[in-house]
Amino acid sequence: MPQAKTLETIARIIGAKNLLTHPSDTKPYLTEWRENYRGKALCIALPLSPKDISEIVKLAAKEKLHIVPQSGNTGLVGGQIPFDKNRAILVSLARMNKIRELNPTNNSITAEAGCILANLHHTAETANRLFPLTLASKGSSQLGGLLATNAGGHNVLRYGMARDLTLGLECVLANGKIWHGLRALRKDNRGYDLKNLFIGSEGTLGIITAAVLKLFPIPKGETTFLAGLQTPQQALDCFHWAQARSGGALSAFELIPRIGMDFVLKHIPETRDPIRNPSPCYLLGALDSEISAEDASEKAQAILSELMEKNLIKDAVLASSEARREALWKLRESMSEAQKREGASLKHDISVPLSKMARFLEEAEAAVKAFLPEARIVAFGHIGDGNLHINISQPVGMSADGFLALREKIGRILYDLVESFDGSISAEHGIGVLKRDELARRKSQTELEMMRQIKRALDPDNLFNPGKLL
Amino acid sequence: MKILVPIKRVVDYNVRVQVKPSGSVDLDNVKMSMNPFDEIAVEEAIRLKEQNKAKEIIAISIGPAQASETIRTALAMGADKGILVQSPERLEPLNVAKILKAIADKEKPDLIILGKQAIDDDCNQTGQMLAALLNWPQGTFASKLELNGDSITVTREVDGGLQTLALKRPAIITTDLRLNEPRYATLPNIMKAKKKPIEQTTPESYGINPAPRLEILETLPPKEREGGVKVESIKELVEKLRSEAGIL
Repeated sequence: MPQAKTLETIARIIGAKNLLTHPSDTKPYLTEWRENYRGKALCIALPLSPKDISEIVKLAAKEKLHIVPQSGNTGLVGGQIPFDKNRAILVSLARMNKIRELNPTNNSITAEAGCILANLHHTAETANRLFPLTLASKGSSQLGGLLATNAGGHNVLRYGMARDLTLGLECVLANGKIWHGLRALRKDNRGYDLKNLFIGSEGTLGIITAAVLKLFPIPKGETTFLAGLQTPQQALDCFHWAQARSGGALSAFELIPRIGMDFVLKHIPETRDPIRNPSPCYLLGALDSEISAEDASEKAQAILSELMEKNLIKDAVLASSEARREALWKLRESMSEAQKREGASLKHDISVPLSKMARFLEEAEAAVKAFLPEARIVAFGHIGDGNLHINISQPVGMSADGFLALREKIGRILYDLVESFDGSISAEHGIGVLKRDELARRKSQTELEMMRQIKRALDPDNLFNPGKLL
Repeated sequence: MKILVPIKRVVDYNVRVQVKPSGSVDLDNVKMSMNPFDEIAVEEAIRLKEQNKAKEIIAISIGPAQASETIRTALAMGADKGILVQSPERLEPLNVAKILKAIADKEKPDLIILGKQAIDDDCNQTGQMLAALLNWPQGTFASKLELNGDSITVTREVDGGLQTLALKRPAIITTDLRLNEPRYATLPNIMKAKKKPIEQTTPESYGINPAPRLEILETLPPKEREGGVKVESIKELVEKLRSEAGIL
């Protein structure tokens, strides 16, 4: 079938105005937000139902085309970007944004893949429930991508990752069948857990079109604090102490280095330093209470006082209002944006066992500095989960291109170290195209072979997101 | 110099309040905080103290027992002592102003700094009424404040520009948003604040009956916004502006 005919058929399935081919229309879908990836595709299709997608999938299989699913286009590893002008159909889930069911009795919500995360939060709130998955891009990231990449964010400590929050899925498979797996069961041991194959598969096994998600009671009270300290090791000591003392009520525990704070204060409007005397690093924490905000605040005060007596923290502030809470979180959530404005940066989303984190960080910093003495290392993030984003900003005075040319070498240095510490080269961002070769190099042959067998079983013709992940 | 800072416990600015079917605002389990304009007042008083222009700052709150939490926040920021006037009633600005006058008569402050309005009822009356009751000069909506001996220079944001007033103390200042950016309370100061004194009184102890004079007839949520629509042509747009929006 000639291309024009294919496009015509797709237009007939989804309606002509939901098929985009003009460069000005397709550009937002084909450009990764940091502009690290500029893609190409035959067309962008915006279907409205699993049935539409099923028909597109069947057509693609027949015409030997392939499909790249995309939702909010906030991914960081290029998984959502197609690169084939003649054969790639980008299927955007953005129009599939209905909440199908909000069920407070079941503590569940059934939502389509195009639902924006912040909308899920608001919808759950209307039933006095919490959907705990949250991250910096909550205003634009959509459910489909969050599940396909098994997103983490800063509530993982208490509620787990996207995988832990999913009860059921609806997916379109490579043979065009729709898998109706929208179950709301907490317990279901009927054989293989199929949904967990698709969660974290980065669109390589099927297209997630809807999901049943877990909801939780909204904690009665919450308090957010920022503390200044000397070293990441102290942050870890604080974490262990605070977790034990709070009885599991810690919901977030993030590390912010001073250099990251400086970038944010310099580049992001309406930010300011909450603590008068600067510290080498900071921890941003949150603690929930089942009683009240005052109770949460009292508990945090008690724990922080103890940490101060132990000389682990130098100073701390507590958010006295929601606006202050948001202001504290803004410092953390603007970190990537601020670093982007500071120049080119190389990002490494890694995890190591908590027990090895401090030594890893020390060695990582030393290794990068030995290679590039003026490198500006910004290591921040979910230290309570053993996950840090080690982002390296270009040295002052070095050209962006010159610095970015070191991508492989710096990656090799860090990832070798991660491997020797039994860590992961992708904690929460996924593999995409960015880390595909690195994955092939570092994952064991046994594991890679199992992954390939699963891929062959579910998508034998390599229809879904080829060139990504595997 | 002594400064009084009246502060109010209000529904947190970021909370989206709901109207109960019974017709009142649902305050159960709602996050409460210090009125943001009052926070600015506390900050300004502390800055005057840090410049050695003030000696003592007293934070006053009138309201339920939990208003003591709000006073603790002011004490943690740097106020020296608190007065809690416990009153379960819904308070109207005139009653608040009368209670504050009674406290001012007793404490004899040189300055009273308060928020220009509370964000829950948006009355914007207490400061002005208090100035009238005390017969003191007032500088409302202050965006800048300077003290020189007995004279106070207040810059006010008015329509079309800035107005500068010179006042003699004692005086009333009400704060606008741009006066300052309030500090975060640090942990050591929060702990110290727990030991600072809070005097407990009631409106009756000042001879004031706090019963409201106004009756609330109805509370309604704002009209729900309807989703936008895309129009196909300018002709359709004009037509909708005429028939649906009623603008043309």
